[in-house]
Formats: sequence, structure tokens, C-alpha cells
Amino acid sequence: MHFFYLANFDIEAQAGPQAAFEIFGIPVNDTTLIGYGITIGLIIFARLLTRNLEIVPGRLQNAMEMLLESIMDITEGMMAGGGRKMLPFIGTIALFIGLSNIIGVLPLLKNPTADLNMTLAFGLSVFIFSNAYAIKNKGLGGYVKGFFEPMAFMLPINLLGELAKPISHSFRLFGNVFGGSVLIALAAYFVPGILPVPLMAWFDIFIGLVQALIFTMLAIAYISIASE
Amino acid sequence: MVELSPDFMDTILRAAAMIGAGLALIAGIGAGVGQGYAAGKAVESVARQPEARGLITTTMLVGQAVAESTGIYAFVFALILLFFIIL
Repeated sequence: MHFFYLANFDIEAQAGPQAAFEIFGIPVNDTTLIGYGITIGLIIFARLLTRNLEIVPGRLQNAMEMLLESIMDITEGMMAGGGRKMLPFIGTIALFIGLSNIIGVLPLLKNPTADLNMTLAFGLSVFIFSNAYAIKNKGLGGYVKGFFEPMAFMLPINLLGELAKPISHSFRLFGNVFGGSVLIALAAYFVPGILPVPLMAWFDIFIGLVQALIFTMLAIAYISIASE
Repeated sequence: MVELSPDFMDTILRAAAMIGAGLALIAGIGAGVGQGYAAGKAVESVARQPEARGLITTTMLVGQAVAESTGIYAFVFALILLFFIIL
């Protein structure tokens, strides 16, 4: 693909996912590998941290407790009584996406969330979780009846609105992170060394953390709306 | 009928995809106006109630990020046009 007509500039190598290798003809993206790396790193970090918990927390334990408590507070504010119950799901999303969004500042690493496969997987899991939670809370009858409100002929609009949720949810995160990485790659081509640094600080750290917060809050909102 | 060469059609396709990508980014107007409106209202609220600054800033950022999403969709479509249509 040579669409920018710039000499020696291949945007695809700089931004977005690239197939690292193939297993039985199925390409495996490098973003997937970085995502697995983040998962394993988080598991090892959690194991090391929870191995010797103390009543009077140390500095690191204190910081992680504050982070988890703030996630629980946000969840509690949007769905009463769900703070502790939703923590495994919501906390996983917040930690993984937050870390995925800011890992792009490290050299040679790409954001796993700059891959539509990754964000779509998260959007679909939130979609399935919220619908399953709604069926569990309201019963199958109440869940189906929810699509016929306020009138019966609103069914197609309600169905479309429900199906648009995971798409808009995942495209928002993907577009922000991928757009940022494209801009950083362009800046690194034109003004290498100087211009990418403030752009990385803006797109990878600030926008990345804000988008992780947005994704988490929207996930909570979708779950709480579906179960009402 | 005039037979057009494949090269010519390819060039037309690329040009059309690039123009389409440029046109898609017009949607950025809406996102920009929306974000600026939210920021202006947040400045007004902070001026009226400076002690609520932290909460107002968080709410403004969340609202702006949601308002931004239409612009982001347009951006994604522009990138799709650039990346995938032009092979």
C-alpha cells in the first residue's frame, strides 16, 4: 500500500497492527502479543502484591487499594449496590485498557487498543455481559418485554439501538488510540525526535487515560441501563 | 462506448477515495463546536463555583470525550478509505 506518496514512508509499519507470524494460516498480530504480555504482567504483579498483604498497607499496596476503591466508588455511584459485585469485570476492563493505552509511550511497543479486534472483543464482552445480567435480573420475559417499550412498534428501533452500542463503544476507543498513533507516526517522520514527545504525552498518556475512564464508565452505564 | 484502461480507473478510484476521506473529516466541525461549548460552560461554572472545580473538570472531560465520538467515527471512516480502498 502506497497511498501517502511520501518517499520511504510506510504508515502501516509505524501505526496500527501488523501480522507478526502465522499459526495454521491465521495471522497473529503483534498487538495481540503485547496484549498477552500485559495480561501476564498484570497477573504476576497482582500475585506479587497480594502475596503478603498487611493491615497497615505499604506504599504500593496503598496506591493499588486507592485505585480499586475509586473504581468501586464510580461503579457504586452509577449502579447502587453494584460496586463490589462488578469489581472483577469493571476493574479488569479499567486496568487492562488503561495499561494498554499508555504502553505506547515505551519504544518499540504499540498500543494493543489500536487494533479493532481488541476493542471489538471488549465491546462485545460488555454487550454480552450486560444482556446476560439483564436476563438474570429481570427474567427472560421482562428482558424481551423491555424491547417492546414504550410501544410495540418501537421494537426495530430498540433492537438497532442495542446493536449499535458495542459498535460505537469499541470504535470510539479504537479511533482515539489509532488516530493518535497515526499522528505520532506522521510527526516522527517529519520532525523526528522533537515533535513526537509532546504528542506522545498528549495522546498516549492523557487521551489514553481519559478514554480508559470513558470506556469503563460507559460499560457501567450499559450494564446498569440494561438491568433496570 | 469508450473503453477506459484499468490504470485510469485505478487512478480515479484513488482520487475519489482521497476526496471522500477529506469530505468525511467535515464531521470534525460538529465535534469541535460541541467540545468548545462544553468547555465554555465548564469555565462559566468554575467562575460561579470555584470550589467545585475538580468535579466540573472530570464531568467536562467525560462529556467532551463522548461528544468527540462522532468526529472519531468520521476519522475512522477516513482512515478506512485511505488504508483499505486504496490498495
